[in-house]
Amino acid sequence: MSQMDEKIENVVSESIESSGEIDTGNLKGFWYADWSFPIMVSILAAGVFAGTHMYYVHHVGAFNEVAVIALLQAGITGGGFGAAAAFGTSFLFARILEGSLVGILDLGGSILTGLGVGIPALLLAVNFKLPLQSFPLAILTGAILGLIVGFIIIGIRKFTVGNSNSTFGADVMMGAGNLSGKFLGPLIVLSACTASIPIGFGSIAGAAIFYYWKKPVAGGAILGAMVLGIFFPIGIK
Amino acid sequence: MSFIIILIKSIIIGGFVGFGAGVGAARMFHAPTVQGMGSFRTLGELNACAGDAASHFSFGLGFFFNAWASAVGAGTFTQDVSHRIIPNWSATVWSRKGKSVEETLHNPKKMAISGTVIGIIIVSFLNLTSAAIPDSLQAIAVKVLVPAANLLINPVMPVIFWLAALDAGKRTGVYGTVFGGLAHLIMGNAVPGIVLGILIGKGVDENGWSKLTLTLFISVIILFVLSGFFRGFDLTLLQQFRLGTPQWLQLLHNLFGAGGK
Repeated sequence: MSQMDEKIENVVSESIESSGEIDTGNLKGFWYADWSFPIMVSILAAGVFAGTHMYYVHHVGAFNEVAVIALLQAGITGGGFGAAAAFGTSFLFARILEGSLVGILDLGGSILTGLGVGIPALLLAVNFKLPLQSFPLAILTGAILGLIVGFIIIGIRKFTVGNSNSTFGADVMMGAGNLSGKFLGPLIVLSACTASIPIGFGSIAGAAIFYYWKKPVAGGAILGAMVLGIFFPIGIK
Repeated sequence: MSFIIILIKSIIIGGFVGFGAGVGAARMFHAPTVQGMGSFRTLGELNACAGDAASHFSFGLGFFFNAWASAVGAGTFTQDVSHRIIPNWSATVWSRKGKSVEETLHNPKKMAISGTVIGIIIVSFLNLTSAAIPDSLQAIAVKVLVPAANLLINPVMPVIFWLAALDAGKRTGVYGTVFGGLAHLIMGNAVPGIVLGILIGKGVDENGWSKLTLTLFISVIILFVLSGFFRGFDLTLLQQFRLGTPQWLQLLHNLFGAGGK
């Protein structure tokens, strides 16, 4: 695994070095320009925000990891949106800074987690549900937010490029974020085991099989719990 | 009826996300001259497949099944859809023997077109197959997921982030501890505080107290003060230290309708 990471790292740094030498004369026009970047972010963000609308209304269709959406779900079911909002927006903040400094905006932290989970959680926390309930409004909200993010990034780029090499600890946060994602698998098995014995058995088996197949344990645990849940349903209080 | 609504929404969403993911991935190859959008791991993985259609396709396929399982179980696609499946499958569409990556993978226009199409197909498929699962079954997933998520939010994530901050250096550790503890007191969860602590600690480590880090520090303080005020933290604090609440403070809170027990 670490070898693989190293390999990827090498390739990345090579490609960055080599791309720096490309003749900038060819890199003009809509597809390469700075001015078009906010439009592209806007289109993507519209889709992602509408994906969160899908999750809110149809319970399927969010573009994020199970662990992150679980934060939002905890808020929707009455657990408070503070964690999701703070987690999402602080990631957005860090990624905007980092993205403009290194030239690659991290989609996962900025758009998927920041605009897709953090902002919706903020809106829901103040009981402003309309942008998430209505599909056209969701598209519009996402598009506007994306446009703002895009312009901020291009703005920071204009002022600070070459000024700073810091990633502001994004690597540390990413590491911690990934590690906490790993915790979710065992935690799901534990909570399935508390829910009922058959569902517990299902999630244990699912987790073990997924681990053996080298797939994320969390997914297997949920699927296993659901399969046994077909035959031995539990009441929803 | 709901089938058609979900289909229409999925087509729009998939098209938008596919367009963005495709064009962003292609632009990444021209960073830092051109602002890209994606992630470093996506860039590395796309490079590792090197414009070979079969590698791109099978790499995406492995994550596709994973995303499908996650969509059925928890209603969410995993970040792999935008990070891995769309960029890799969009590259597959154009990759042919004898074509260089500059003409295919590195071309934002081509990647935007194929990304849009691939996005529509993937999102519609995932949403429609998952929506076909009965509600009672998804309720089980939620019932298992929510307690696990609550545990994850508190105390697992605060501890992990805290330890990461402590391991990342002395300054990060101190800022992470102070802001993390304060955040747990004020906002009820330490994670945002620790994240901001890492942000400032690392920023100062690498840049010193520049204009940027100072602005960051001040905005964090303002953030804490505001969220403390609107959650009525100041009132509770005065009450628990057995100090009286000044009339003007209570009035100020009433004015904004903000907190206080």
